[in-house]
Amino acid sequence: MSFLEYRVKQAPTGIRKILYMNWPLVVLVTAVASVGFLMLYSIAGGNLDTWARPQMERFAVGMVLMFIVAMVPIWFWRSMAGVAYLVAFVLLLVVEFFGTVGMGAQRWIDLGFIRLQPSEMMKFTLVMVLAAYYDWLDPKRVSRPLYVLIPVLLIVVPTVLVLMQPNLGTSLMLILAGATVMFVAGVSLWYFGAVLALGVSAVIGVFTLRGTEWQFLHDYQYRRIDTFLDPSADPLGAGYNIIQAKIALGSGGWSGKGFMQGTQSRLNFLPEKHTDFIFTTLAEEFGFVGAFSLLGLYALILGFCLVAAWQNRDRFSSLLIIGVAANFFFYIAVNLSMVMGMAPVVGVPLPLLSYGGSAMMVLLVGFGLVQSAHVHRPR
Amino acid sequence: MRTPLRPLARILQARQEGLNPDSIEKENLRIRHEALREKARARAQFRLVVLCASFVMAFGAIGARMGLMAATEPVEPRSRAPGAEIIAQRADITDRNGRVLATNMTTHALYAHPRVMVDPKGSAEKLAAIFPDLDAKALERRFTDGRSFVWIRKILSPEQMQRVHEIGDPGLLFGPREKRLYPNGSLAAHILGGTSFGAEGVHSAEVVGVAGIEKALDARLRDPAQGTKPVALSIDLSLQATVEEVLAAGMSMLNAKGAAAILMDVRTGEVLALASLPTFDPNNRPNPLVDKDAEPGDSPLFNRAVQGVYELGSTFKIFAAAQALELGLVKPDTMVDANAPMIWGKHKIKEFENKNYGPLLSVSDVIAKSSNVGTAHIALMIGPLRQQAFLKSLGFFEPTPLELIEAPGAKPLIPKKWPEIVTITTSYGHGLSASPMHLAAAYAAIANGGVMIKPTLLKREGPTTGVRVMSEKAARESVAMLRRVVTEGTASLGEVPGYEVAGKTGTADKPKKSGGYYKDKVINTFASVFPASNPQYVLIVTLDEPMDTALSETRRTAGWTAVPVAAEIIRRVAPLMGLRPKLEPVAPDAVTAASN
Repeated sequence: MSFLEYRVKQAPTGIRKILYMNWPLVVLVTAVASVGFLMLYSIAGGNLDTWARPQMERFAVGMVLMFIVAMVPIWFWRSMAGVAYLVAFVLLLVVEFFGTVGMGAQRWIDLGFIRLQPSEMMKFTLVMVLAAYYDWLDPKRVSRPLYVLIPVLLIVVPTVLVLMQPNLGTSLMLILAGATVMFVAGVSLWYFGAVLALGVSAVIGVFTLRGTEWQFLHDYQYRRIDTFLDPSADPLGAGYNIIQAKIALGSGGWSGKGFMQGTQSRLNFLPEKHTDFIFTTLAEEFGFVGAFSLLGLYALILGFCLVAAWQNRDRFSSLLIIGVAANFFFYIAVNLSMVMGMAPVVGVPLPLLSYGGSAMMVLLVGFGLVQSAHVHRPR
Repeated sequence: MRTPLRPLARILQARQEGLNPDSIEKENLRIRHEALREKARARAQFRLVVLCASFVMAFGAIGARMGLMAATEPVEPRSRAPGAEIIAQRADITDRNGRVLATNMTTHALYAHPRVMVDPKGSAEKLAAIFPDLDAKALERRFTDGRSFVWIRKILSPEQMQRVHEIGDPGLLFGPREKRLYPNGSLAAHILGGTSFGAEGVHSAEVVGVAGIEKALDARLRDPAQGTKPVALSIDLSLQATVEEVLAAGMSMLNAKGAAAILMDVRTGEVLALASLPTFDPNNRPNPLVDKDAEPGDSPLFNRAVQGVYELGSTFKIFAAAQALELGLVKPDTMVDANAPMIWGKHKIKEFENKNYGPLLSVSDVIAKSSNVGTAHIALMIGPLRQQAFLKSLGFFEPTPLELIEAPGAKPLIPKKWPEIVTITTSYGHGLSASPMHLAAAYAAIANGGVMIKPTLLKREGPTTGVRVMSEKAARESVAMLRRVVTEGTASLGEVPGYEVAGKTGTADKPKKSGGYYKDKVINTFASVFPASNPQYVLIVTLDEPMDTALSETRRTAGWTAVPVAAEIIRRVAPLMGLRPKLEPVAPDAVTAASN
């Protein structure tokens, strides 16, 4: 279905669009972000200015961006998908060769007023381009090898660039979100089976080549996997994060130690406590009840997204919403698994909670796309 | 089934009705397209449901994990950090009755992280006040020259630890570690040997054996598979203490510079007590002697009973007699030539103090009187080859297989060539040097009825077998001869009423480093077996350079030195071992009524 077939006249126009937005989603996103502000305030030892205020400012900017993106008709975004993807791709190349090195990884372009992370941009432009692709593609041809190869290349090429930065977390996210869009678009399951088999053999390859000149991963990445497999082997080194996080979670118990009472995180036992490991502070201070409530909020956000995708009869819109939701989901799942010792430590922030401007803004823009698709859905 | 886009029937009908058949095709195409789209949509919705389900499952797993982690008490990671690989636990060593000879004690090491020290100068001064051997200046230099880690003490006493604690510097840290503790002090020191620290970490230190059984059984003691199951030695702590006490007293009374004793069970080869004097405290092993002129044998670390290789003198005579009996060459009452001095080529074989027991002596008397000439004639009857074979079968050609790290190093000194003159000298214990442990094992073979048993320091479970080296008859007759040595011969001071001591004395001149022998330096040995009617134990007592000056003349023969010491040991240990004394029935009128 192309946008010419949209019964555009039935779509809300002007300021009335705001009424047709998916308001529960807006409320839920704000709620989760507010939890983040609370935690950042607590981690800073009751200091608003350290992390909480900048985060709130960014959230405000992100919300404005979200509304702007939501007001723009979805068909405009679809026509922009290819361009946006190309821009993000070029920026990735630029960062690869001229980027600023931060934390041992070359990840952002310093524009002076903001540090642009093309890998973050790539997350949603990739989803957009895939959704546009499958909207254009005749459903009959979805599983034909050539038409499978195109999206695979669309996913793999930027992933490789991100992996070279190196940023294992984001490249993992790109692959997972892209694969989810392809899955829902109806690509034959055989391909997924084949990729899974390849993946397993790749894992075997990664480990057999370890220590040779051809090893795939950085030593620190291997160590993270080792640490995951046995965190207690190196409790003061690489296993420190996980063990301290586990202690924080365990000491939280059912109802937690209370707001601002977490010792594990506030006494600087935890590294990255305001970014990737922010969940531990929540779990310590609000216990299982708090942690589970947060999980519930996340689940609600995902639920509203998936319902919106289900209701939306436009293929592009539907796939776009699923792509954004998948991205969101995998961030949560990987981060929480990592923090709770169910997965190796990959540097993946907890969406809406972790301190960090780029990710927060990009995520809100992604929700803006979801809103746009929702507002401008065919009726 | 695929429906045709232009069904012939409908086309024909449409044509008849004058309609455009293309519209039918168009309509059919639209329907098919719609169906296809519906199918794709249904598929997409199904996939969406699958996606939903997997999201729910993943969240369920994460939620379950949260619950699990909230429900479990957090466990602080155990401090296995840098020393994780060091296995601190070392099995205890006990005597044959389970009494502890070596165990572990937790103590602390002191180290410093100078970078976090508040007051390096003050702390160094205070440490030097606690540990007088530390130099405050040097310590302060080490604290301030930029290094991040300094070992200060390997072991602290609780008092020292408290005093260091009171300095209160956060840069002074204690690391727990195990220390080997020998609760009996110097008792059985030469058996146990000692330990020191191997790989050392802040959180633990590896305890490794450096001598004795600690080193010989190091792997077993540290084997995690054995857990903390103790190693039981054949030693009996009470007997060991008694032997050491009597031996030390005898050594000081006789002005000897060293002494050794071995008490062995003749049937199992188990060493019940093994002492070497002077001794040391394995809790605080002395350093080996560094003086070049000092003989290694003079170090307290030297185990005379196992490492000491001496010419054991006349104690060897019984082997010649026993072999001759075994070969049927003689009987105990066979008369042999004992005319002294005996001339053999250019050698002259004399008796002690140039006596002459000749012209003839019975074999039994040769042993009782310790006649060199008589023994020489017996040895000549046997011949060099058979003599070598017999001594070899008694273990005199190899180091003893004892479970001490020092044992394999104590190789007997054997004459390179074995002409008949060597046969003669070896028969009375000169020319061949062996350790007291060799002698104990060989005497055990005679005492137990002719079976060579492997001597051991480990408690034996169940009976052992050995190689028969002589007939029971020959062995029994040999013991009877040894008994006569005590009742009528050179070891008359060895008689202990009721315990039927049998044995043979031996006095050997100490060889000079420059060659030849000292005239006034001797090694006295008494090899005894008791009780003679049913031999159960062998006791070897060796004294290094003793002299009995109790009477007007100075005596250096074993009969006056080693024998009384051995008798005193037997008098004390025999009741401890549960031996029943065989006393002559006492006439009733000799009994003093204890009550009215």
